Amino acid sequence: MVEDSVIISARNVDFYYGDFQALKNINIDILRDEVTAMIGPSGCGKSTFLKLLNRMNDFVPGARLSGEIFIGGESIYAPEADPVVIRRRVGMVFQRPNPFAKSIYDNICYGPRLVGVKKPKELDELTEKALRAAALWEEVKDKLGKSALELSGGQQQRVCIARALALEPDILLMDEPTSALDPIATAKVEEWIKDSGLSIVIVTHNMQQAARISDKTAYFFLGELIEFGPTKELFTRPKEVKTENYITGRFG
Amino acid sequence: MKDAPEKTPPLDSPGIIRLQPKLSRAERGVKFFFLLCAVSALGSMFLIMIFLFMEAGGLFFSGDEGAGVGLKEFFLSLDWYPTYPDPSFGSLALVLGSLSVTLVSILLATPFGIGLAIYLSSVAGPRVREWLKPAVELLASIPSVILGFVGMVAVAPFMQNVLNLPTGLNVLNASLFLAIMATPTIASLGDDALSAVSQAVTDGSYALGATRWETISRVILPASLSGLSTAVILGLGRALGETIVVLMVAGGAAQAPHSLFDPVRPLTSTLAAEMGETAIGSRHYHALFALGAVLFVLTLAFNLLAFYLARRWREKS
Repeated sequence: MVEDSVIISARNVDFYYGDFQALKNINIDILRDEVTAMIGPSGCGKSTFLKLLNRMNDFVPGARLSGEIFIGGESIYAPEADPVVIRRRVGMVFQRPNPFAKSIYDNICYGPRLVGVKKPKELDELTEKALRAAALWEEVKDKLGKSALELSGGQQQRVCIARALALEPDILLMDEPTSALDPIATAKVEEWIKDSGLSIVIVTHNMQQAARISDKTAYFFLGELIEFGPTKELFTRPKEVKTENYITGRFG
Repeated sequence: MKDAPEKTPPLDSPGIIRLQPKLSRAERGVKFFFLLCAVSALGSMFLIMIFLFMEAGGLFFSGDEGAGVGLKEFFLSLDWYPTYPDPSFGSLALVLGSLSVTLVSILLATPFGIGLAIYLSSVAGPRVREWLKPAVELLASIPSVILGFVGMVAVAPFMQNVLNLPTGLNVLNASLFLAIMATPTIASLGDDALSAVSQAVTDGSYALGATRWETISRVILPASLSGLSTAVILGLGRALGETIVVLMVAGGAAQAPHSLFDPVRPLTSTLAAEMGETAIGSRHYHALFALGAVLFVLTLAFNLLAFYLARRWREKS
């Protein structure tokens, strides 16, 4: 059942910012329950591709796309597709922790409340579940009413992870989620990614991180997907010279 | 983290050299000049304040015209009859006049101003915003006498005929034009407050499946609440201090208003209308200064409130 295990599939995707072509003919199949890392030098298109997966590029003036992207078999750029519904199914964690200036509890409940969850008991339960899933429950269970902005950077990032998980998304997108964190907080987030068992697509500028936590790795260069395969193979026996140059540090 | 050194050596201990920029003679001259500008600006304001309060104080002490006016009469009496043979100097009707037009104008201007601010910051595209924001700010530069004129010759007769009122010069008419004056202030400052909410946070809201309106109402508005209150209070201060519009369209009757259609006589227009006709040093003259002092204190209070809210807003973000 190969078809069933594919959760994201891109077909002939070209993407433009105004006149600039940021992605060139991207074709990729990303599997369910795997961690997929996207690496490449700055400006290679990896973040752009990530943001196409939950339609966050809709907000970029002059953004244009051709080709198709399927999530769970549905074309997310079809005219009838609703970005709001897609974003509930495809969660996202950003480069810098961006909790709302609200309590930890209200941060977690933000998404569920949007979809109409109102009962306090239900909200309490899913808050605990999401915080446990983000490995933050033990640290914050006694101060859920405190502002999320009072937490450390690493804890804030895990609030953002929990906030996304509270909607029980099919996929979690992470855009360099540890680049603003110190090494200890980074280790915690990485550990969480490895153990989560979720379908995660993570953009990282840190090759060691990709090697440590991902099942598959995609290497982007100048808007093209150069190579995509099992992480171990890509880092030990890259098929493309460009990939080898990058991972051995000859540039980038 | 930052650990403070256990002991800081005293600044005057031997071996400590104090670092500071070395100024030439000319630079010292320039420095002195700017210091002088700053001091004279502050100083003249301070002197005006002292003058205001001293002349105001004259009302409450006995003088050529007999015993001073009691504080109770001045603050609590509704009777402002400064030129009667047996005059009375109660400021309450005038204060109520000022507060009524200010309050009603702010009730009118706030929804429009904040709505405009939301449109500018979160709805309009960059191209619309580029010309609309300067246009809104230009609205603030219409001389108020022109607004007063429109209120007097166009709106007042209209109101009088349509609503069948004794006069179209009343609280509502004045509030309408004060609202027009306060709206650009509220919209422009409100836009600044709303735009200060970081893109990262709004992206976070969109990524959780919030619509634009949900993002505005649940994230952007709460995060900029104190900035928005500052905008409203500064708009309020503008309406409170405005003179010529209320002089022309508020009706000028020194009475406590009972409805939106009663004419009133705000503090500012009382000062403007009467100051030219009083003898210097008379009781009436001192009473007008006392009204000025009341106006000053009210305006100062609003500005301090705005200042306080703005500071709290900065601390939060």
